[in-house]
Amino acid sequence: MNDESSYVFFQGGTLVLKGCPPGLLMPPAPFRWVKEQWRCEAYHYPRIVPWLRENHVRDTVPRWVHPKLTLHDDRAPHDYQREALRAWTAAHYRGSIVLPTGAGKTFVAIQAILDADCSTLIVAPTIDLLHQWYARLVNAFQTEIGVYYGGEKIIAPITVTTYHSAGGIVETHGAAFKLIIFDEVHHLPAPNWGETALMSPSPYRLGLTATYPEEHEQQDGRWRVDDLIGPIVYTRRIDDLVGQQLAEYRTERLRVDLTPREQKRYDADYAIYSAFFRSRNLARIHGSNWHLELMRLSAFDAGARRAFLAHKRLSDLLASAEGKFRALEGLLREHSTEQTLIFATNKAVAYRVSRQFLIPTITAETKAAERKLTLDRFREGQYRALVTCEVLNEGVDVPEAKVAIVLGGTSGAREYIQRLGRVLRKVENRRALLVEVVVRGTPEANKSVARARQQRKREQTEQSKQTGQTEQTEQDAQGSSDAQ
Amino acid sequence: MLSSDLVRPRVKRRGGLVVVDMLDVSDRHWLRTAQEMIRLFGAQLGKAYSDWETALDEYEGERMDYIVVRGLAKVMEDAATFEPIPYPVLPADARERLFALGPAFGAPDLFNPRTRADAVKAVARELRTSMKAVEGALYADRVTAYTLREVGQLWTPETLLARYNLELARGVLYDASEMRVELHDHYKDFWRYMKLFKLMFEAAPLAEGGYSVRLDGPISPFVNATRRYGRQFAAFLPALFLCERWRMAAQIVASRNDAPAVYALDNSAALQTHFKGSGPFDSLLEKTFADEFEEKFGGARSEWTLTREDEVVLIGDTVFIPDFALTNKADGRRALVELVGFWHPDYLRRKVAKVRAANMRNLVLLVRESVNLAPEKLADVPGEVIYFPNKPVLRDVIRAVEACAL
Repeated sequence: MNDESSYVFFQGGTLVLKGCPPGLLMPPAPFRWVKEQWRCEAYHYPRIVPWLRENHVRDTVPRWVHPKLTLHDDRAPHDYQREALRAWTAAHYRGSIVLPTGAGKTFVAIQAILDADCSTLIVAPTIDLLHQWYARLVNAFQTEIGVYYGGEKIIAPITVTTYHSAGGIVETHGAAFKLIIFDEVHHLPAPNWGETALMSPSPYRLGLTATYPEEHEQQDGRWRVDDLIGPIVYTRRIDDLVGQQLAEYRTERLRVDLTPREQKRYDADYAIYSAFFRSRNLARIHGSNWHLELMRLSAFDAGARRAFLAHKRLSDLLASAEGKFRALEGLLREHSTEQTLIFATNKAVAYRVSRQFLIPTITAETKAAERKLTLDRFREGQYRALVTCEVLNEGVDVPEAKVAIVLGGTSGAREYIQRLGRVLRKVENRRALLVEVVVRGTPEANKSVARARQQRKREQTEQSKQTGQTEQTEQDAQGSSDAQ
Repeated sequence: MLSSDLVRPRVKRRGGLVVVDMLDVSDRHWLRTAQEMIRLFGAQLGKAYSDWETALDEYEGERMDYIVVRGLAKVMEDAATFEPIPYPVLPADARERLFALGPAFGAPDLFNPRTRADAVKAVARELRTSMKAVEGALYADRVTAYTLREVGQLWTPETLLARYNLELARGVLYDASEMRVELHDHYKDFWRYMKLFKLMFEAAPLAEGGYSVRLDGPISPFVNATRRYGRQFAAFLPALFLCERWRMAAQIVASRNDAPAVYALDNSAALQTHFKGSGPFDSLLEKTFADEFEEKFGGARSEWTLTREDEVVLIGDTVFIPDFALTNKADGRRALVELVGFWHPDYLRRKVAKVRAANMRNLVLLVRESVNLAPEKLADVPGEVIYFPNKPVLRDVIRAVEACAL
């Protein structure tokens, strides 16, 4: 081929070949003649590069840069982290690394970015994890890091996005990144998420996970991670690392009463809601989906609509019961030398706590830079307490917290354990405390008891594995004036 | 645009078809609802978004049509402007300073001698402002604190209901994997908006006239029923209502478990667009040309009928829509006429490239002399080229048309 005008470019997740009319030159297999153009999915890019060179087709795809990164992190990688990195570079910077949770996958990724020294897009499962990546990357490279998700869209040579938003950035800026990293790569087989990897031309790819998807999870219209990222290049099993992360902890349950006014409202709404609930037998017919059914009914059944609203008022009332704020004040005074993490049931409560006690909050609204600043100051002890709601749920590190206060019991058992795990990450072998503040004699309190029972059971069966100990203590609210 | 949770409850499947439960815009209940909500929203001017939320909650009360109420509210919010209030103290600054002094309580104790009020006072002093200003700034940058500056549109109950219906139709397309359209007029508007929303197309002329067009995006041919372009289809939809005769069928993939269904619309739908169509003419030059033709060659005397932008020349991933077509009344021969009247180099480069790619023998190019388009650049273009100083001489144009019409 010597036609000077033939070239390939990146468009919306595909590669388009111009100046090669059919019959003149036959492009290699992935290209298809679609709508009067030679076109293929962008992930074929590294495969077609040799053909482009051989045929002198101008390659306008790469827009990536080599930012000359320096690492500002003195921690030396563990041997297994070094091995993992070596295996990945040996596989031409492609493939997945399988490491158990807590084994420092982010650290391995940072080493990988440093080694490849090129513009990189990191895809994280949730906005919380996006923020955590952001903070780690800023600290590691001391350079501007981009974030691309619903709340902010800032693109830099190293940018973090979520699986949800990845399609948007890859479609428009996919060719700006030579390396693409998929955190928790087991999410990739899902149809929408896999498309992202398909649309990226990045020749370097890294998948990170603790649980590589099983064969059956990559069939029936789902994507194969091997095809999109490359094969597994390194695996370390969980047995090798278990038993290092648990500390001793104890839990307390603080029961508060509703004020007489609150109690009145509670009783009235409870009567409306429970009468409907029982009359329709919602729990028996719909099981745990009763709430959805109630919502469906409330679009045409006046009784259901009233019950639905009553239930919503009940939840709001429990979430922001006066007694909880009084109890919280008592706890904050009592533990006034400890780093304290507070979990609010919802955003409104988080902002109320923040305003009332002048405590920083982190919610879904908080932007990346302020979130990092707040967490940094909390870790350094400049902020003694921090209040948050659902957003810090999975795998977000706040190891400095020694006291955790959970305002309300509406969260599921799984969430509860994860919250627990966060406070408990072992720092200097100190004993952590978790206090749950619930309203006495309500579904909130019942849930909390059920959880405690479940936890005890689990601990009995897993005792041989665990190094932690639990003791259940129950304490009633001291500060609640209504109780006196 | 509406969020999915406000659309889905109003969408049903009947067999392989998707049916939208639109509002009857002459229904008294809905007209009253719309009227009340427009008034409610108007009364919020200068108030915070959170106040509007409260007012809306109160209005909604125990109504069972709350999905519609929230939908109407969303339509008005989208057209309106909520802005942060200007604050003398930067909220982020106020937060940093205040939180450094927290946790703080109403009454002092041994370990916390400074009360909350003391903390606020200290920060107010640092920033040389009042305690009230500090309190006000604390979370003034939250969206819930933004105030309603402009309603943005003069709603009437009828226009609000009509717009809501359009937004429902758009909402169905969030789950569309492709859209097929047959259209018979307003090609330029159609393609202009298609390009604006970055959609791709595959078009073919229809035997009975008009075009059939399939719309999707770059990755569509390579994956199974992607919903990636749903938002773009939804954004584009109002462009169809600029056309007079059309029909549309979109493939809807609501979830992995449901079989795909079809959502169909045509020009009989009682929906209105809020998009602007191009006027009858792009330039004075075109208007003068058409007027003069009617005057001198129009009516029964003429051998030729002049029509505007009624043919689409398909060239690869783009189209060329010449300004005019002349059709011979006797034998149906046609020639296309394109006016080149702007001087901008980009415009000229694109125009010449298109004309060359179109490669049409029955094209008459009318080029204004002052645009500086050298005749050499048009040497290899088939068809006729006529240069003119001020306006084209119609007699010459007719002669050229006679020579090249097919």
